Amino acid sequence: MNLIGTQTKNIVEDGNPEAGFRLMKQAGFSCADFSLNSYLLNTSLYQFQLNDFFNRSVVELEQFFTPHKKGAVSAGIRINQMHMPYPAYVPKGSKELNGYLWNEVAPKSMEICAFLECPYIVVHGFKLARNLGSEQAEWERTEQFLDMLAPMAKEMGITVCIENLYDNVGGHLIEGPCCDAKKAVERIDRFNDRYHAEVVGFCFDTGHANLVGLDFETFLVTLGDRLKVLHIHDNDGVRDLHQIPFTFTKTRENKASTDWEGFIRGLKAIRYNRVLSFETAPVLTAFPKEMQLQVLQLISGIGKYFTAEL
Amino acid sequence: MQLICSPSGSVDFRHPGQGIRDIRKAGFEAVSLDLFQCASPWSLETLGKQKKETEDPWAARLFQDPADLKKQVSALLFQCQSNTLQIPVARAPYLPRDTRRTDLNTFLEQLTAYSIRLCGEIGCSSLVVPPLFSGIEKGLQWQENHAYYLRLAGIARECHVTILLENQCMNYNGHFLRGICSDAEEAARWVDCLNKDAGEERFGFCMDTGVCTLCGQDMHTFAGILGQRVKAIRLRDCDGYQENALLPFTCAEQGQNRTDWLNLIRGLREIEFDGGLILDFADTAAAFSPLLRPRLLSLAYAVAEYVKWQIEIENLLKKYATIALFGAGNMCRNYMKCYGETYPPLFTCDNNSALWGTIFCGLEVKPPEALKELPEDCGVFICNVYYREIEKQLRELGIQNIEYFNDEYMPSFHFDRIKRNDTLK
Repeated sequence: MNLIGTQTKNIVEDGNPEAGFRLMKQAGFSCADFSLNSYLLNTSLYQFQLNDFFNRSVVELEQFFTPHKKGAVSAGIRINQMHMPYPAYVPKGSKELNGYLWNEVAPKSMEICAFLECPYIVVHGFKLARNLGSEQAEWERTEQFLDMLAPMAKEMGITVCIENLYDNVGGHLIEGPCCDAKKAVERIDRFNDRYHAEVVGFCFDTGHANLVGLDFETFLVTLGDRLKVLHIHDNDGVRDLHQIPFTFTKTRENKASTDWEGFIRGLKAIRYNRVLSFETAPVLTAFPKEMQLQVLQLISGIGKYFTAEL
Repeated sequence: MQLICSPSGSVDFRHPGQGIRDIRKAGFEAVSLDLFQCASPWSLETLGKQKKETEDPWAARLFQDPADLKKQVSALLFQCQSNTLQIPVARAPYLPRDTRRTDLNTFLEQLTAYSIRLCGEIGCSSLVVPPLFSGIEKGLQWQENHAYYLRLAGIARECHVTILLENQCMNYNGHFLRGICSDAEEAARWVDCLNKDAGEERFGFCMDTGVCTLCGQDMHTFAGILGQRVKAIRLRDCDGYQENALLPFTCAEQGQNRTDWLNLIRGLREIEFDGGLILDFADTAAAFSPLLRPRLLSLAYAVAEYVKWQIEIENLLKKYATIALFGAGNMCRNYMKCYGETYPPLFTCDNNSALWGTIFCGLEVKPPEALKELPEDCGVFICNVYYREIEKQLRELGIQNIEYFNDEYMPSFHFDRIKRNDTLK
């Protein structure tokens, strides 16, 4: 039986985290994807802007997140996965900026993950292929980053999950890091063999996969048990919209234009028994605040449908 | 590398005289034989499903007798011959991606067999044959197509024709997903296995850039994996969402291309692509007025030549015993990063007198007049976007071996760009 989860972004607020977790529970979720990336936004980083959130010491960060931890426990929500702030490397950023992301943000994210007793943390691979000249050269940089995290991950019992991403060419979204399942498998296995532990796993992002026309079923079957967490969301195949599954149609037959059948077949084939986690936070700002519960119930209802199909 | 113009959109294949002459006049020396014009995907889809009066009579005739194919393209063939246009590659008819016809695979096979025979008769050495997909379960695609292609291999051998497989996308409720042979490793396996089973190199690959773009694929990696199996490129632009055949570099947003030309060119350079570059801009051509089409075709030829030039840029560097550069800015810096070690210039020069005597990226910066002292077999490469102005200046200096360098599609890039103030330091 798969548990169902969703992002804390737009639901859990720092002022009263427990209320947000209770709302998640009420809507039918039992797990959370902790949106640590909300504390250092990618939009700021791409403009070379940092805030002082991660200047706090680990002790201070633990104090900061203690109400969140207690709130989740009290509401009966398990923090199953977390998103590390991204990008972990800003291509045209200064040495100081990238050094800070590498030496402060990433290790402290791991500490917070461990503190929240969260077993999986999702990271973004570096988007450098255009500059470095190849996907392999790009991966080598990501690998260095993962190598920095891996000893901590092993010690803390955390699996760092790489995620399939996209890149942007003239507004057209094309495949980015980790879009080749066979390569991902080989790379994950190599890491885990080297560390004698499951330090690296995979996060399959349905929306990103849909944008670049990946075959969900083949991708998932290729990943097998290396698939640890999910980012389930939908889009129109054009923009990364993070909407509710089954939302988009493109023909007069009005059938879903995202291959959810392939998604179910793939998960079924690998006997996926982990959390079905939705990455649909933007939906909550689109709908009126008054409808938040109903919207979350719809999303968790889709999770229940997936569970039943699996 | 051979530049090939697809006549689709420019030529009415039943009245081909004017269109074919326009293509020839634009500079092309070869065209592809687009046999799907005789039986378009749409006409195949509606075959036998419409009233007689609305049915495409040409497709219906082919359905009765696939051998009619030759008759249907005879005018086109005659015009190609009269205008000394070669036909090195053809493309077999195919079904629409969203077809509901699962009953036409046998007919398609007959039509393809006749297409191969026709290619043999006219000396066309390659035929692009998309894989069968309609009504075939995912798990059986290889099995069905393996048998299909091997059945065709015998005829292809007799006719001295190479069959080119092609990467496909599939239409999933209006959204394009990666289809058969869109995984380069799988495609390479198919080609290798077919060649092994055919007992000779009877199969190759045609890489469709439009399909790669629709599926957001990394064309550098894609081409790299297929390597020498790639015998032809179907070069077309599209916005990444609709399947169109647009003239390359015409689909842009906010000043940027929507097709990843960088990775395509990187990939084709890496595999030293030397096959047929089929320029397919059917939609652009059809949308242009026939009055403007000759000019469009001239532009299309220039585009094809440019892509070829980019792919073969290193050959240009090999042409000279020694080289010198003109320009001491970003382009020179990029040259030195990617080619400086293999093709070290003697020096660079610049019109900025403040730079003379300085060292830039390991090169001495000299005044342009220094180029006059170069040996005869030295090429001067302009590393500055003001190509034509500089070329004029160099010609006035009496320089002969003038070449353009371009850094838009470099094997790798610096993370930053230098500003003139940096250069002065």
